[in-house]
Amino acid sequence: MKKVAIKIISSAKVYAPTQIEELDTKRLVPKMMLRRRLTRNSKVMLYLSDKCGFTNGKIVYGSCYSELEETAKIADEALMQGALSPTSFQNSVYNTAPSYFSLINGDKDEIITISSGMKTSLDALKTSALQALVSKERVLCVAVECLNIKNIEQINRCADYLEAGCGVVLEIDDDISDAKEIQNLKIDGIINSLQDLMSVVQMHENGIEKILIEL
Amino acid sequence: MKSYINNYEVLCDAGDTKGLMQAIYAKKSAVSIDVSYIKDRPSGLGKMHYDNIFNVLKDVTSKVLKASNLENFKDTLLILGSSVGGMQECEDIFYSQKNYKNINPNRYSMNTLTDYLCKEFDFYDSRAISTACTSSANALVLAKRLIDVEAYENILVVGADGLCASTVLGFHALGVLSDKPCLPFDKERNGMNVAEAVAIMLIQNTKTKDSMELKGVGASSDAYHMTNPDPEAGGAMSSMRDAINDAKLSLDDIDYVNAHGTATPANDRVEALAIEKLFANDVYVSSTKAITGHTLGAAGAIEAIISCEVIKNSIIPPQTGLQNQENTNINIPKESIEMSVKNIVSNSFAFGGNNTSIVVGACV
Repeated sequence: MKKVAIKIISSAKVYAPTQIEELDTKRLVPKMMLRRRLTRNSKVMLYLSDKCGFTNGKIVYGSCYSELEETAKIADEALMQGALSPTSFQNSVYNTAPSYFSLINGDKDEIITISSGMKTSLDALKTSALQALVSKERVLCVAVECLNIKNIEQINRCADYLEAGCGVVLEIDDDISDAKEIQNLKIDGIINSLQDLMSVVQMHENGIEKILIEL
Repeated sequence: MKSYINNYEVLCDAGDTKGLMQAIYAKKSAVSIDVSYIKDRPSGLGKMHYDNIFNVLKDVTSKVLKASNLENFKDTLLILGSSVGGMQECEDIFYSQKNYKNINPNRYSMNTLTDYLCKEFDFYDSRAISTACTSSANALVLAKRLIDVEAYENILVVGADGLCASTVLGFHALGVLSDKPCLPFDKERNGMNVAEAVAIMLIQNTKTKDSMELKGVGASSDAYHMTNPDPEAGGAMSSMRDAINDAKLSLDDIDYVNAHGTATPANDRVEALAIEKLFANDVYVSSTKAITGHTLGAAGAIEAIISCEVIKNSIIPPQTGLQNQENTNINIPKESIEMSVKNIVSNSFAFGGNNTSIVVGACV
């Protein structure tokens, strides 16, 4: 199985116990009608991509639970009325957040969405490394979980931070010699589906730029 | 490194691969009319005959393994494409108990299906992709690229989606759910049929006597609208062109386009325009969703398998149900065409303007 070295160009992370307060959405999405349609995952993803300085190119987006708020809404609507809101349904797919990014930034490049349970962000990193290797371009790898829905306490047994996300812009480094394995720099209370990418972000913050990834 | 499609199998509303191809060539839609999901409103749905999705996954995977040159999947990467994952089971619990208390979060998302398969078959590793209706087409994109860069020798691509209330009601809410078997590319089409399927393909870097080749992949984003395709068809053209370029083929080399062809007014109009702009009248086109319905995240894989069968059978599928073709500038056969088929483009398009095309071809 093949390993490659990725170079981290930029990184960002954000998390909050219930809701991330300042996502700078008004600046990032000036059109009010579009802004009103955005899901929480989309707002967090847009914030992280802006912090990483990424506006165009290939995106790999990871989320284990993705648009939980929209899914909960449509489940409630189906139970109560037997009919759904079309906006909630169209916003419930797992690629909603990167698709809004694409729409807002006019980015016509490839989008892949990974949802691999608690190894979601690791698999997103692997997929980003593959995309960077094949295209020889910089790739945005971003992972987001927004779990702040009504009655989440009925099922949440692992996350203290109900909204969290992290992202990196990466490219392939042909010199693999001094690349580091992903260190365990987990942040307590963050859902495990984000922890591998969170660790990479923290490594970057600690001055480590080159990471070894098995494809 | 070349990617060979060496073994595959399907379960869908028309049965297994053999039953499906018989239905396609006989122009016999397997879509049935359902009245259980939407009160006082019939819906055309593509339903499998099965007990639960996990047993289908195990059964179809076992068949692919048995037919393959592998003893087990210990050195194989599993890539799943699905749009609903474990949603069926979670919906059932929520609708009956009206709360989340007995929902296991580990059985909600896409990885529910990969976790199950890894437990049953001991894969080297797995990943799960969910880009709505392009999910398993994108799984094929990654499989080809991973073999290209010599990261893996064996990759099992699984497209799987079961019927859920949320998808049936959701497409109804969007006003695109047909009340009868769908009519792709027809002036009288009135929408799609939500359907379910499991479609599994073994992709390897070695050729066997029955190999087909996964020759090219291409993907793009419309950057236009969350559910409506770009009316200029730029995204659809781009994904097809990229896949053909990746295959190192020219437009003239393509014999048939297995269209996304959902039979929604917007999709078929734009996809037909994309094919017209790219190929003019020089390629045969049809949509097999008239037989299977739209199997959502499984559509890319099931239509890749259909494409392999079309090459093996040397018969272009007719367009079931077509009476009054809307775009007469593309070549949609109403009857089967017997001919040598060397290369096929198969399209998958999804919410968010996510476009994926693949090229499947005969080995040379």
